[in-house]
Amino acid sequence: MALVTIKRNSPQHIAVRVLGVLLVVIAVLWVPTKMTTGNIDSMTNALALVIAASALNLVIGYTGLISIGHSAFFGIGSYATGVLVSKYGWGHGWSMIFGALLAFVFGFIVALPALRIKGIYLALVTLAVAVLFPTMMKWPKLEWLTNGARGISGIRYEELPSLPFLGELKGRDDRTVFFYWYAIMLVIITVLVCRGIVKSRMGRALIAIRDNEIGAEVMGVNLATTKTLVFGVSAALTSLAGSLSVARTGVVTADGANLTLIGSIVFLVVMVVGGAATITGPIIGALVYVWVDNYTRTASASGEGLIGWLFDWSAVSPASIILSVALIVLMFVAPDGVFGLVRRLARRVVVIK
Amino acid sequence: MDLLKVDGVTVEFGGIVALSGLTFNVQQGDICGLIGPNGAGKTTVFNVLSRIYEPTQGSVTFDGVDLLGVEAHDIAKLGIGRTFQNLALFPSMSLLENVMVGAHSKGRVGFVRAITRFGVRREDRQLRETSMALLEAFGLAQLAAHPAAGLPFGTLKRVEIARALAAKPKFVLLDEPASGLTHSEVDELADTLVRVRSEFNLTMLLVEHHMSMVMKVSDKIVVMEFGRKIAEGTPAEVRDNPEVIRAYLGTDA
Repeated sequence: MALVTIKRNSPQHIAVRVLGVLLVVIAVLWVPTKMTTGNIDSMTNALALVIAASALNLVIGYTGLISIGHSAFFGIGSYATGVLVSKYGWGHGWSMIFGALLAFVFGFIVALPALRIKGIYLALVTLAVAVLFPTMMKWPKLEWLTNGARGISGIRYEELPSLPFLGELKGRDDRTVFFYWYAIMLVIITVLVCRGIVKSRMGRALIAIRDNEIGAEVMGVNLATTKTLVFGVSAALTSLAGSLSVARTGVVTADGANLTLIGSIVFLVVMVVGGAATITGPIIGALVYVWVDNYTRTASASGEGLIGWLFDWSAVSPASIILSVALIVLMFVAPDGVFGLVRRLARRVVVIK
Repeated sequence: MDLLKVDGVTVEFGGIVALSGLTFNVQQGDICGLIGPNGAGKTTVFNVLSRIYEPTQGSVTFDGVDLLGVEAHDIAKLGIGRTFQNLALFPSMSLLENVMVGAHSKGRVGFVRAITRFGVRREDRQLRETSMALLEAFGLAQLAAHPAAGLPFGTLKRVEIARALAAKPKFVLLDEPASGLTHSEVDELADTLVRVRSEFNLTMLLVEHHMSMVMKVSDKIVVMEFGRKIAEGTPAEVRDNPEVIRAYLGTDA
């Protein structure tokens, strides 16, 4: 039994919620004002993962369609911004919107097999998409557009727009701060889109499809349009993360970590570690992932400690290996992810009725 | 007036004939029992009516509409609800949410409105109220927030009926609603069905093995064996039909 029981929508409940929002706001403000430039940049990276994992969550967590092809949608956003900004002089915002529309169309098309196949078979189709995408981008016949294996570099905001409250932004630190706020804006959009869908008739339809497809169909859920549209929306959101990353780093290559199959796996790990089929889960998952990634990267580079001793041979971050092991363990102790575990523990103390 | 006309429907799976030239009508406002030994094709009839199985021959007319020209997800919109023999609930959702999904075909909010939150709260509030009222009608109100997973079979059977009624259908297909219930619960269910029929102005097609219940509530009974109709009539007529007795009890050697 819980220690405290709070009635829904009572003053106490509202107080708890206000406190929660306040903590989030403080954390969001704390990052750009108190952290070092490097750490702010890491947070921006984490926010890109929040977007991608939240988007993937719509498809896998809520609808139960397994996709490991989302790195391709990340890639579509990355290349849309890379190509349009550097070669055609588009603004970053417009390139991002164009990338999202393109990804929506591609997501819709990739979802068509999902109307016939499920589970592991669908996973294989999306795997093909993930493998195909970087190869396509390196295709010599597309080199005029993508620069082939060299990729596109020097994609930058030449002049940063001035932000309210922060004023004119100049120099490396201010650039980092700017992209942090840019990422926060995109995360807010993503969370609002996901939350809006989930807390509605369509969200219930998605879960119904996951739980029992025939049952959902008999209740009047149009499986074909629902699956293809949710895949499209998810792809479009994932491409935002791609555009964001390119704007932040100024570089896009076909072998960039999040554009290859590794990216799909990272999004999946972030989603599952944080907590699938929850809005908060991917946010927590991304923070955990980036923290582990940074920690192990430093440790393996310096060769210090257990992590260093284990992974000093590794040029890349061993975070994916460590998190994969963590994932297996987590499936036993907390099948609902970190957020699920926290929620379960919190419910022992406070129950909202 | 006939609400449902099934005419010469044949369903084949490869070489196996599940239904062969099945013809029967259901009158508006009736409770029509559909009985027969295991494997007679009763659930196949339901799956034809829900457009899950495609008949190789025959026609089905519901309320003047050619049912075989309607897609499975539009069946609910026509006013046909159903329950499943082995349940098709959504285990991770609460009972309330299960019933709310039952009204999906009546809802208006699509992806665009969901994202922009246009009219979502109002739709959800109305749905929540009507769904809660349905749960109350089936004595499930105190379990409304409980997930469907882990509840007893008999309870879930009732949830399925509530869910089937959420879209305010004209016609409900009930696949063995009394399975998993105790004797007293079966009697109670029979009363509930009769009450719900008049309250919601329903027509029902009822597959059930509890003979006493079928005989008690049905206005008409269709008896099937090996995918064919072997008898049709009022409960009294069917009970005395030699074909029916043979199908259920076998013949003397």
